[in-house]
Amino acid sequence: MELLIALAIGAMFGIGIFQLLRRNVIRSAIGLIIISNAINLFLLSAGAYEGVAVAYLDAVGQRSDALPQVLVLTAIVISMGGFATVLAMLYVISARYKTSDLDDVKRLRH
Amino acid sequence: MLDEHLVLLPIVIPLMGAAVGLVLHNHPKWQRLVTWLAITISLSFTGLLMWRVFGVQETIVLFVGGWAAPAGITLVADPLSALMAFMSQLVLWGGITYGLGCKDKCARYPTFFPLFLTLAVGLTGTMLTGDLFNLFVFIELLVISGTVLTALSDDHFGPEAALKYFYISLFAAIFLLLASGSLYVSYGTLNMADLAQRIAADPNQPLLGMAAAALMATFMIKSAVVPFHFWQPDFHTAAPTPVHAVLSSVVVKVGIYGFIRMTTLLFIDYSHTIQTVLLVMGAFGVFFGGLGAVGTYDAKRMLAYSTLGQLGFILVGIGWGTPLALAAALIYAFNHSLIKAAMLMLAGSVGSRAPVKTANFDKITGLGKVTLPAGILFLLGGMALAGLPPTNGFISKFTLFQSGVEAEAYISLAVIGVGSLITLVYVGRAFQRIWWEPMPEGVEPKPYGDRLIAPAILICLCIILGLWGWPLLQTTTQVTIWLSSPDHYIQAVLDTAVLAAH
Repeated sequence: MELLIALAIGAMFGIGIFQLLRRNVIRSAIGLIIISNAINLFLLSAGAYEGVAVAYLDAVGQRSDALPQVLVLTAIVISMGGFATVLAMLYVISARYKTSDLDDVKRLRH
Repeated sequence: MLDEHLVLLPIVIPLMGAAVGLVLHNHPKWQRLVTWLAITISLSFTGLLMWRVFGVQETIVLFVGGWAAPAGITLVADPLSALMAFMSQLVLWGGITYGLGCKDKCARYPTFFPLFLTLAVGLTGTMLTGDLFNLFVFIELLVISGTVLTALSDDHFGPEAALKYFYISLFAAIFLLLASGSLYVSYGTLNMADLAQRIAADPNQPLLGMAAAALMATFMIKSAVVPFHFWQPDFHTAAPTPVHAVLSSVVVKVGIYGFIRMTTLLFIDYSHTIQTVLLVMGAFGVFFGGLGAVGTYDAKRMLAYSTLGQLGFILVGIGWGTPLALAAALIYAFNHSLIKAAMLMLAGSVGSRAPVKTANFDKITGLGKVTLPAGILFLLGGMALAGLPPTNGFISKFTLFQSGVEAEAYISLAVIGVGSLITLVYVGRAFQRIWWEPMPEGVEPKPYGDRLIAPAILICLCIILGLWGWPLLQTTTQVTIWLSSPDHYIQAVLDTAVLAAH
């Protein structure tokens, strides 16, 4: 299970960063949300320090630490607010610049 | 009981002001009044907090919700936090006062002032919080308010700047969460006092290095240290002037606060490595920011680049790491906030006189002729930025160089000595372009611009602190005595926790 979670976090980071660097505005925003979910998974597995089981294990008789789950919950809410802001900004930008290509969004540079 | 709640007030009052302001969105005059009252009251309570911490010499610790540390949410006003929070609130007060008198269209937008107050909540909370996860929450609040305020800007390219900032800040937030996760898995706590104690007891955890690196990356992005600076000039130039004045002076100090906490509290065993990194980056930043400011085409952009250079001086101070150098870095940070905010407001107010609002040097050449008081203030502010007496800039540069001589760091001293001369060049150039050169024919400046009351107050403070620098010197010395041992902070928080448990 631990290996699976580790691989999943790694894969999500990889996919997220790849998508974030794409030129399409929507793809880059999706990359952002994938990365923040990878972080949430990482925080969830951070609940396993000495003597405490992680939340995704169903070990009988072992307690899991509640704090990382609370952290994940807060991080989810904040990243949702952030994602909504990003989408709104991308909407305004694609209307103003008449493009969906982030490489064309560089008019502040002279 | 009431005393410890004092630390909550600078966070809660602006938050309530923002809520009331949103309710009053149909009554702009009342909304403005509520906003100004909220920030003024919260500034006076921060002043009271500062008096409690420095005058009565006690550290105020509040466990929000009644759960004692390390379990609950902790707010700590130790000397460093109190000084930084007071500095932030002072400049935020200036920013909001300027915003009330500014002619930007975005300042009439119904959520402009509530967002400004949530920016204040985020910034003050970042300085006052006692654990890493709340740091993340407050930083996110700060980032989202700052982003939306910039996206609202009158500048047509505001959303582009805001997008750049938001993407890079989200990365900073991800690094901060990575650091929190790594520290939690190694030590099982996120409370800074408890964490410092446990890291000192067991500094060989495998994830500790990664946590330190991720925290460094976070704070470097936050304060736009040179290799991480690429978003800063674009973002700051496009922001509305009152927001720009706050972002470029106090919001970048979040990173400075973080670095001081890292080197004096959290990672004492690795502080030497961190200080070396900061020293190199700071010295590089002094040059890069200075040369960038000399080569730019826009007054606001010039001051944004200048922030990169000035932050370099502060980082060099932290990098030397002696008590005197830390005090110098704090004095520099405090003075730079006042000077930079005032300078930006003045540049923005001249820009608001242009037929189409801009701060482009080609468009505002000679425009200063219509606003002579702004010119006098700009000259005084420029002297402060370059570090000439009788301004507070002289005091900060003087103590910094003195601490460098004492630390016997002659190479870095020579580097920043040459770098500080560049400041004189770009400030002189801006003054010459705006106030000295004749106005080109056919330009019709607007009869009214942004009000000058906020920058005038800030420049007056700069002069007062330059002529009477003793209080700031005394305060920062007290802070460095407090920072000399991490035990002060740890005991202040955990002893109060033991008391609260009984």
